[in-house]
Amino acid sequence: MRCLHKGLWSEAQSSWIILYLKFLRFVNFIRLTYRGDIMKRALIVAFLLVVFSSVCFAEDLLSVSGRMNLRGVLPLHNNETATEYPSLLGRLKVDTTPPKWRFHMWLEGGWDGSADLKAEGHSVLKGWSEVYQSTPLFLEFKELYGSYSNNFLELRAGIQRFAWGRLDEYPINDLLNPWDYTQFLRKSLEDRKIGVPSISARLNKRDWNMELVWVPLLVPYRLPLFTERWSVFPEIATLAEKYDAEIIHQNGDLPSRNMENSSVGLRIQSSGTVDWGVTLFHGYDLRPVFKTTESVISLISGQVVVNPGAEPDFHKMSSIGIDAAFVKGDWSWRAEAAYAIGRYHNTRYELWGYPSTPSLGTYKLNSNEHQSDTVAYGIGVDYRLFEDCLLTMQAQQTLINDRPDTLYDRQFETIIWVNLKNFFMNQKIETNLNLAYNPEHGDTMTKVNAWYVFTDAWKVGITATGFDGPSQSLFGRYSKNDQVEIDVIFSW
Amino acid sequence: MTNARIVFLLFTLLIMVSSSAYAMNGRDVFEKVHELRARMLDQKTEATMVLHDRGGGKRTRTLTEYGKNASPEAYKALLIFNSPADLKGVGFLVHARTFAEKNLWAYFPEYKRVRRIPTSAQDDSFFGSDFSYDDFSGPPSLDDYSFKILREETVDDKPCYIVEVTPKIPRKYTRYIAWVTKNLWVTARIEYYREKELYRSGTFRNIRLIDGIPTPFNLEMENHKTKHKTVLTIDQITYRTRFPNEMFTQRSLERGAK
Repeated sequence: MRCLHKGLWSEAQSSWIILYLKFLRFVNFIRLTYRGDIMKRALIVAFLLVVFSSVCFAEDLLSVSGRMNLRGVLPLHNNETATEYPSLLGRLKVDTTPPKWRFHMWLEGGWDGSADLKAEGHSVLKGWSEVYQSTPLFLEFKELYGSYSNNFLELRAGIQRFAWGRLDEYPINDLLNPWDYTQFLRKSLEDRKIGVPSISARLNKRDWNMELVWVPLLVPYRLPLFTERWSVFPEIATLAEKYDAEIIHQNGDLPSRNMENSSVGLRIQSSGTVDWGVTLFHGYDLRPVFKTTESVISLISGQVVVNPGAEPDFHKMSSIGIDAAFVKGDWSWRAEAAYAIGRYHNTRYELWGYPSTPSLGTYKLNSNEHQSDTVAYGIGVDYRLFEDCLLTMQAQQTLINDRPDTLYDRQFETIIWVNLKNFFMNQKIETNLNLAYNPEHGDTMTKVNAWYVFTDAWKVGITATGFDGPSQSLFGRYSKNDQVEIDVIFSW
Repeated sequence: MTNARIVFLLFTLLIMVSSSAYAMNGRDVFEKVHELRARMLDQKTEATMVLHDRGGGKRTRTLTEYGKNASPEAYKALLIFNSPADLKGVGFLVHARTFAEKNLWAYFPEYKRVRRIPTSAQDDSFFGSDFSYDDFSGPPSLDDYSFKILREETVDDKPCYIVEVTPKIPRKYTRYIAWVTKNLWVTARIEYYREKELYRSGTFRNIRLIDGIPTPFNLEMENHKTKHKTVLTIDQITYRTRFPNEMFTQRSLERGAK
């Protein structure tokens, strides 16, 4: 018995030693691949501790889930866009189970085959200071927060994502999280939201609640490189390719990080026969706007180097919004509207002042920003056509006050969005047909996908996406990005 | 006693015997069922749902259901999926103002959004299973149905009333037949029909008394069109929980009832 006990003990000891060695090897791997500041190091250490403790102790205290996603893309205009390699993406979610004090982590990472930024000089862990940071190998905390809650109050501090408003895909009052535009329209809304460091307090009383959010520093949106497949300026990408030029990416000047430059949001909502909400926001507008300076084309060591002279610009705005949702018969309705004060818009690209035949030299660019208030409103509805078949329709419009003719956006910009979701074989198969249309510019996006669930852990999906329209329009700018994508997902 | 008198007496006796055989009518039976289901409303249930497809494939979901009897007639229910990973945190909230009028919400953590569901979906498949959303709600309004006792039968050694239930308002199933155990007032078997065609059927076994409430621990529902079957096993159930109202808010739905 004693021998058996001793044997078990040494077995347990050796498994601990193996785990410890694995842990050290992993720390070393991260240390070698990672260059960053102290705060990022602290986050990495926090992550490692959580993963390590979750593996070793955790069953009763932590709930851990995750998934791996292997993705392959077949571009349909292969010669006209940059190459995209297969991706292997992981997700890990950790939650503590005690109810009052909670810890929550949502980490994503892996190899992104669409990214083109060389890892040297850039952190593997996605940070809050750069617009251009699409490294193939990456780690990102989508959420990482601690919270305290009782029946009436919930306090959260850390990296958070919020979902304010009611509309799908392009919600009007959802202003707290910037978007990741690196594969913009390929991703769903939730995939493209970037978590922001923030403190939130939510007061609850029966069917009422009030949420106050403070975001102490501006986290900028993320853009793909000009040379990537999902570049938002395909014109510059084409130019760079034509002249085999290297393009300099300017991240823009972030506002200094002080109280004055923080953002704040307040939302009051109630549920009942009609769910409704009121939203107030004051802080940085997180839609991309560019500021032009001067474009420089130079020859450095036999290589053409282009500084486009267009850098991300950040401006404050205020917004007041309302939203509601209710059911009438077989229809589930939702609507929202917002008045935004002081939004910035860019003029049409051709007015920025780029030379028609570029050659070596410096080109002073024209001023390209215009400030005006906007009113945005939209309505959406779900209708159950038959069992396991749901039709979602949505129409939304933005009105730009005092719009000058120099803007690409029209005074009214509309997005009509329809999704038909259908399940078969007790939800073993899911299909979606998704259409989006912008009537002002005649641009469209069509997405068709099908998922097959093999087991609780394995599923496979195929998605075909097509874009059409003028090159500066919302969907048309990706008209060379038609593709078929295959995903294999393992979740646990 | 004349022959006529004897015939009259026998006839009266026959009527009395036959009426005592159905001392209750269908509505009475379902009032008893309804009374029991109302007693079941204050509860917390941990359950495992296994979906069996025709080819032998299995998918497993675990879930927790919380209920509250909000008298006089209303109730609230909250259901949260604990697994698989794809469904973890997905929730479903019911606020019934009366047994006939309900507000339904669903929450999908991936989107962080609460979505309203029309009651027209209440007979639809519940997250791919052979149970319906309605099966996870409270008791229905009896005024919306008509009832008729068809016969009596014994199921698993339990004497049952067999009651035909016909919705007065259009529903997915035009009628259903329920085997209701006498004295316990639990449904032991149920068959759902669309016109004359049997669409799905369920059996409810392993009935145990919990806090004086007879509770089936093994619920099986089969779709006869697709040959798909779902087995729901109750792992743990607690009655008389008296949860606070705050447990049944959208915030609680978003937090997985924590």
